[in-house]
Amino acid sequence: MSRTLTRSATIGPVVADPYPWPYDGTVPADRVALICIDWQVDFCGPGGYVDRMGYDIELTRAGLPGTARMLGHARATGMLVIHTREGHSPDLSDLPANKRWRSAQIGAEIGARGPQGRILVRGEPGWQIVSEVAPLSGEVLIDKPGKGAFYATQLDLVLRTKQITHIVLTGITTDVCVHTTMREANDRGYECVILSDCTGATELGNHTAALRMVTMQGGVFGCVATSEAVLAATTTGEGHDI
Amino acid sequence: MTSDPLTADSITVSADPGPFRCSPAHTALLIIDMQRDFVEPGGFGETLGNDVGLLRSVIPPLQRVRAASRAAGMAVIHTREGHRPDLTDCPPSKLSRGDPSLRIGDAGPKGRILIRGEYGHDIIDELAPRTGEVVIDKPGKGAFYATELHDLLQVAGITSLVVTGVTTEVCVHTTVREANDRGYECLVLSDCVGSYFPEFQQAGLAMIAAQGGIFGWVAPSAAYLGALNVLYPAVVGATTGDERS
Repeated sequence: MSRTLTRSATIGPVVADPYPWPYDGTVPADRVALICIDWQVDFCGPGGYVDRMGYDIELTRAGLPGTARMLGHARATGMLVIHTREGHSPDLSDLPANKRWRSAQIGAEIGARGPQGRILVRGEPGWQIVSEVAPLSGEVLIDKPGKGAFYATQLDLVLRTKQITHIVLTGITTDVCVHTTMREANDRGYECVILSDCTGATELGNHTAALRMVTMQGGVFGCVATSEAVLAATTTGEGHDI
Repeated sequence: MTSDPLTADSITVSADPGPFRCSPAHTALLIIDMQRDFVEPGGFGETLGNDVGLLRSVIPPLQRVRAASRAAGMAVIHTREGHRPDLTDCPPSKLSRGDPSLRIGDAGPKGRILIRGEYGHDIIDELAPRTGEVVIDKPGKGAFYATELHDLLQVAGITSLVVTGVTTEVCVHTTVREANDRGYECLVLSDCVGSYFPEFQQAGLAMIAAQGGIFGWVAPSAAYLGALNVLYPAVVGATTGDERS
């Protein structure tokens, strides 16, 4: 009998709000995807899009240490690791007119040149994922044109192909891209948990409200937990086998 | 959606974070999930301990908005959340999560809960769809996922949505997020969307208009009716008068 640790880890029940996650008790780690959303220089680095809009990037950077720890855990236990990047092609042919207009109104037009290259354009320095949570070779990268990671991407196809049923969410920002993706995943039947210490928003109030919204109505989109709780609820194969 | 649909017949609504412009010919009124199970006393929502009064407050302004939008020739689209009687379109996670006392498909006070064809699943009488108005049945919170809404809007040349219904932070928000990623301009009418939780009503509306309108625009129905009235003084004025009397 194989006792390879990375093949037999299970997760759950995780101490979470409003119910112990997941709903079905425990889940093998290889059925779980850790999705790291938009940890890009443009959203949490100096000179990037969020910085240029005048927000405090310390708020969007707050979840980096927790996410780095969670990434290490996911890699060690055999979870599927997925990173997403919001951005547009250099000719901006996938940029809706209203999205461009709004970014210009707030002084950081998508496609315009900034200290980190063209704002939210694929291949530019600002579009890259920050080093603290950089993808490893072989990990799945999803490039998305919207806030949601499912719209106009192959994310759903990848998850179904890898037989993923459960999703752990980290990333930025809590109320925009993480929440939109969690809502999309939930409608598609994936069992989700969002990690409060691995997310962040441009305003603390929006971060807090977004997390609370998840917990209402018995967990309308899933659950909220911490990375520590997920780590504590992970059982290795050796722990299970007699 | 690259060509500018705004023409001489466009309206401008005072909104947060700035003026919202649209052409009624390219705009649809979206009325989300005004179903008996969510909104009526004795329904599923109330059995969960929620105060449906907070949702019912949207009915009078929504009636005025619908009448004026119809008078302006706009498309009116209704949505209903629900599942097939055999629950084959209900994800196990949705069915079992949180170990609820009443599950989807159980016998409830107004028929099987959130099942298509049941009395409680249908839209309240005050906002019953008129013949010819589109009704979208959706299995999720978002009105775009696993429905024909996007195709239907594309065929009709719709580029903007005036969004109303319940609940603000769940189905309204999910739908606005989906619409925004697809390039639609959304105006959410603050007094025509409702939540069981006042805290989330306020936070949900603030999130839409944040960061220069990251998901769209927010305005009270009076601002929208006023803008329509400029373009269609006879029909809109008469219609809103009728609703009050």
